[in-house]
Amino acid sequence: MAGQAAFVQVDDLKIRFSIRTRKGPAFITPVDNVSFHIQPGEVLALVGESGSGKSTIGRSLVRILEPTAGKIQVAGQDVTHIRGRSLVNYHKVAQMVFQDPFGSLNPVRTLEKHLEFPLRKYRAKNHAEVSAHIDYLLQRVGLTPVREFRIKYPHELSGGQRQRLAIARALAVSPEFIVADEPISMLDVSIRAGILELMNELKQDFQLSYLYITHDLASARYFGDRIMVMYGGRVMESASSRSLLKHPLHPYTRLMFAATPGSDWSKPLPETSNEAPNLLEGRKGCPFAHRCLFVQERCREETPALREFEKEHHVACHFAETLQ
Amino acid sequence: MSKVQPVLEIEDVTVVYDSPSGPVQAVSDVNLTVYPGTIVGLIGESGSGKSTLANAIMRLLRGNARLTKGQIRVMGTDIYALSKRELRTFRWSRMSMVFQSAMTALNPVMTVEKQIVDTFRSHRPQMSVKEAKERARDLLRLVRIDEKHLRSFPHELSGGMRQRVVIAIAIALEPQLVIMDEPTTALDVVVQRSILNQIQELQAERGFAILFISHDFSLVTEIASRVAIMYAGRMVENTEAKVLLPEVDHHPYTEGLMRAIPRLTYEDVVIEGIQGHPPDLIDLPSGCAYSPRCPYATAACMEIRPTLHRLSHATIECHLYSPTKEGDSEWPAKQLLYKSTT
Repeated sequence: MAGQAAFVQVDDLKIRFSIRTRKGPAFITPVDNVSFHIQPGEVLALVGESGSGKSTIGRSLVRILEPTAGKIQVAGQDVTHIRGRSLVNYHKVAQMVFQDPFGSLNPVRTLEKHLEFPLRKYRAKNHAEVSAHIDYLLQRVGLTPVREFRIKYPHELSGGQRQRLAIARALAVSPEFIVADEPISMLDVSIRAGILELMNELKQDFQLSYLYITHDLASARYFGDRIMVMYGGRVMESASSRSLLKHPLHPYTRLMFAATPGSDWSKPLPETSNEAPNLLEGRKGCPFAHRCLFVQERCREETPALREFEKEHHVACHFAETLQ
Repeated sequence: MSKVQPVLEIEDVTVVYDSPSGPVQAVSDVNLTVYPGTIVGLIGESGSGKSTLANAIMRLLRGNARLTKGQIRVMGTDIYALSKRELRTFRWSRMSMVFQSAMTALNPVMTVEKQIVDTFRSHRPQMSVKEAKERARDLLRLVRIDEKHLRSFPHELSGGMRQRVVIAIAIALEPQLVIMDEPTTALDVVVQRSILNQIQELQAERGFAILFISHDFSLVTEIASRVAIMYAGRMVENTEAKVLLPEVDHHPYTEGLMRAIPRLTYEDVVIEGIQGHPPDLIDLPSGCAYSPRCPYATAACMEIRPTLHRLSHATIECHLYSPTKEGDSEWPAKQLLYKSTT
């Protein structure tokens, strides 16, 4: 990759799950040879539909999941297969914010308990310091007046406030990297922007790097410095968000574009079927081939590699040149 | 304009939920008219009363919810004046509903075919099973699902296919009004788009009216010709969809929503959330419910509830558009407009 050392460097990541089919046990690879990097203080938006592998990547980056193959390096450390003490230490660097602010909080714990736990576990300090830090965190994510919020329970908060608490909890360990998995998709429209603004401020204040996982191109464009589009476990296209929206190359990116509300597309959707992609291990060809309008024989046989089409604009399509 | 009979007339409807801390008004004094062959969008956040209103139209209010005021007429018939028996035939043959969650709207232990056949047989007892099955096949073809799925169970279908089946069942008896409560919310964007296109095609072909409920602003403005916006149980604005633009006068909440949504453009976008959080229906301000979050709000807004004002393109419930403002200075004005500062 580029000469400058990336903060997060992922090479040929592969994740395999076993499933049961009618023909007996089999394997699927929802993440298949994915490589990317995130610079310090950069937001990479990972866009794709359900089943594209985007959440699986997010989970493997904070090592809730252990990759089957490939390599994940964060802050110069290889974290692909770490365990025990080093995994605990790694969680001081990388944290996750989940989609569901209702399910990811403990209903019988007050807000201060939610923050006290990570502070004690990862940043062991004396009682006064922990308490002061809880005040600071609540203040920072906008849960004020702090005195009142400290003793509230999650059910007393609105969806947006819960997500703010989840962000505060992730911040408690002073991480350098946050994986945010659809952090706004369950929230009301009027408070989504506020959460994105908060994450943006935190990025600047703490020099955070983010992997922002979303299905929504518009919010990816807003929050992401770069966008990586996934389909069927593979990267289809990756570029700066401006360049990707101005000049989408891959047929799947264009399809998503046309389908997003607010796009000025008025023709029929550029796709041929709406079947889900095949995720079975050992599949060949382009994962998008069965839905692509421009499919050729080669697409079904040979998996297109992610290649640099223009400067910093990568695409995995055999025919990117001829589709202009 | 000649008098066209509206498909749906909602007049001063108020729905109250009884709760341990007293009655909660989930829908307050709502008025809405839907004409034949049109798509009307209904936008609101969670707790705004949009789904409660939908249930009130279908007369599906349950448990502690009741309609305390107003009238709902579908094709001129007062829904709440029907006997249980009349309601049973009226529902689905005149008005039907597409629910948000297709998985729970379908019966998991019945095939798709059986569910459609049941719909026909219970409303048209004279119809033979054979004919009902034929109709089921036609319906699936109409929503572009392969016939082989007639024998599928809901769990064997993808989310998009399930939602198509639910839509097929909703239009099976050719109702004049279909209420769609977040029909595409749980689906991927591409699937969502193809279902929306299909809804528009079916609507154009069969001419039924749709009340399309969603929290997705850009989606509704695309599909609907008129848009009603609810906040804290009140319909704060009813506007033509095509004038939902930043430079046109709207309710401050509508303006806030428009500014809160990232647009799909490669240019740099600035979005701004609406400050504060959605209101607690148990503890509403005595004036305008939106006033605590409104950038224009003045003391008058907190105390006096605004009335509906008719503008050329919309009706808006906000003091900003009140032609007569007695007294001085306390009333909100548009000088503070963020549009003019940028």
